[in-house]
Amino acid sequence: MALFSPIPTALSTLSSKCSLSTKPLFTLPNRRNLSLFVTRSSADKGEGMVGSAAVEEKVEKKKESPSPDLEEKKLEEEEKEESPLDSNGAAVKVEIPKFQDPRWVGGTWDLKQFEKGDKIDWDAVIDAEARRRKWLEDYPEASSNEEPIIFDTSIIPWWAWIKRFHLPEAERLNGRAAMIGFFMAYLVDSLTGLGLVDQMGNFFCKTLLFIAVVWVLLIRDNEDIEKLRKILDETTFYDKQWQATWQDDTSSDSKK
Amino acid sequence: MASLSSPTTAATRRQDSPIRPFVGLRRSPSNNCIPTSRNAVPSRHHLQIRAAKSSPRLPGRPLRVAVVGGGPAGGAAAETLAKGGVETILIERKLDNCKPCGGAIPLCMVEEFGLPLDLIDRRVTKMKMISPSNVAVDIGRTLKPHEYIGMVRREILDAYLRDRAAEAGAQLINGLFLQLDLPESGEGPYRLHYNLYNKGTSSVASERQTVEVDAVVGADGANSRVAKSIGSGDYDYAIAFQAMRIPEEKMKYYEERAEMYVGDDVSPDFYGWVFPKCDHVAVGTGTVTHKGEIKRFQAATRLRARDKIEGGKIIRVEAHPIPEHPRPRRVLGRVALVGDAAGYVTKCSGEGIYFAAKSGRMCAEAIVEGSENGNRMINESDLRKYLKKFDQMYWPTYKVLDVLQKVFYRSNSAREAFVEMCADEYVQKMTFDSYLYKKVVPGNPLDDLKLAVNTIGSLVRANALRKEMNKITL
Repeated sequence: MALFSPIPTALSTLSSKCSLSTKPLFTLPNRRNLSLFVTRSSADKGEGMVGSAAVEEKVEKKKESPSPDLEEKKLEEEEKEESPLDSNGAAVKVEIPKFQDPRWVGGTWDLKQFEKGDKIDWDAVIDAEARRRKWLEDYPEASSNEEPIIFDTSIIPWWAWIKRFHLPEAERLNGRAAMIGFFMAYLVDSLTGLGLVDQMGNFFCKTLLFIAVVWVLLIRDNEDIEKLRKILDETTFYDKQWQATWQDDTSSDSKK
Repeated sequence: MASLSSPTTAATRRQDSPIRPFVGLRRSPSNNCIPTSRNAVPSRHHLQIRAAKSSPRLPGRPLRVAVVGGGPAGGAAAETLAKGGVETILIERKLDNCKPCGGAIPLCMVEEFGLPLDLIDRRVTKMKMISPSNVAVDIGRTLKPHEYIGMVRREILDAYLRDRAAEAGAQLINGLFLQLDLPESGEGPYRLHYNLYNKGTSSVASERQTVEVDAVVGADGANSRVAKSIGSGDYDYAIAFQAMRIPEEKMKYYEERAEMYVGDDVSPDFYGWVFPKCDHVAVGTGTVTHKGEIKRFQAATRLRARDKIEGGKIIRVEAHPIPEHPRPRRVLGRVALVGDAAGYVTKCSGEGIYFAAKSGRMCAEAIVEGSENGNRMINESDLRKYLKKFDQMYWPTYKVLDVLQKVFYRSNSAREAFVEMCADEYVQKMTFDSYLYKKVVPGNPLDDLKLAVNTIGSLVRANALRKEMNKITL
């Protein structure tokens, strides 16, 4: 993680956040972000140093007073771990900033805080959850029984997902299909003289149409061709491993 | 599981050691013991006798089979062989071996193998699945009061099965298997070389011995030497874990609960776990693709469980391989592999004890059948019958778990979807039913359809969030 000055990363976060959305709701987490980066001291995780044999690990919790620009926010808990077996001989301190967000209450998102007028802003919920998951991926936290996380993505209604993710992709794909269709229709017409209506009646043209549709749906990036091939291999690989013993069936009788 | 002697010393000493014939050392098959009262359930194997017509009758002696390895697979195989009238020797190098293992056995194992209930240290009835973003789901709501996952200490279970085999008539030998000589001719015997550990002395003092048998059952685990002897091919594996003793009040939380942590931090292709044992918990993780980083994964597992194991002391650190797919060749001639040696560990859950014991038993049954209770020589086709039976019976289970692993352990977003799906009661019921009874039971088709729709929905949502996550830089 960032050994150099944490301020530039926080600033870039601020700017990237603003570019993502101009909603005022996002400035609050950004300020907190800043403070979290400032108070975090980065170091190697001491836990990775545990070697063989029985080792005693003591975990101490330390609470820190809130930084000045966060008067209304909750206390930040920072945990320090000391590993006596650090390879350098010096005690290594590790502080893991916990995920905090004023809208994250009781292990789930407080939907009331996402209301825009009288409707809930689902896009903001999706953004907030994405950020939370990204945070926890980068800074894994201990799972706790006192504050269990009970958020389920299915509370976000299906149409919010469709509007946000499916529709732009569908637009892209339909655009591709339309362009390919127009160009191919023109090409086939110039080569064979068949107009659009006549092409639809021809079997070969219908096959071409089918292939074009399937191609547009399955292959959206250049990497997809390799991915599809790998998936095909994967689905049969485990079967091959189990069948391997039966390949020997004919040759083994002679080995007695 | 490193061997103590090198193959070179074995080769040089081969000329010196006399070949000791096996006949005359064992009691005759007619003295087979009846099952003792320790069995909770009387043995109910009713074997159909169908001899291989081509195999000759053995001249005045029963079939001799060596079982190499005294774990669940070896113990179950030796017991069934001995009960079936076959002369059995069971070679085990460490009789008190504390195997680093989750130690979870399904309900069907207790019934099928007649395990006494005091073997089970704990009954786990609640499992907590924890996603990469710490969404925690409790599964086990659908369990009936008599259903549980049994947690055992491997040294207790293994010793029990071995003792039962010994009571049935198998000869238990404490020794280290060194080498297997394949027969010169088609009907010739297999020659086993092993180091016999003398009782009462330190393990250093050992005596090189040789024995001739008609067939060999390789039950010697992931690093099987029997498998090497028959050129069985290799496979991938890794696992590691530590035992931790945690304070009493924290131990109460794990009274009947086990935890599973999924996430890239904990394992890229498996999961991290906290399983309760008799007086401590086992915190571990495993991986196949990133074996070199296992320590990091172990540390990450401890971090995720930190609040719940706080104040705990590490009492033991262990690592051990487990196979993740079957070996390319499981039978050659009159040598068959069972258990971990054959690679019968499921994907996704990493379960192996039940399949080891079951495969040991099935292989032994096939040998007893093929030899007409020890009267005829067997050949490879008899052993292949065991393979066929095992593959037919458990192939759906293995395949389903493989598909689950491929779909749900793929990435963090897939794991999030996985944990979300586990909150569904139908999923819980299907999962536990198939785990506890080892039968892939097709449920109500309408529910299955709803499940499929929900699964796709979860995966789509998780992947959509993933795309959003990739746009964010923290």
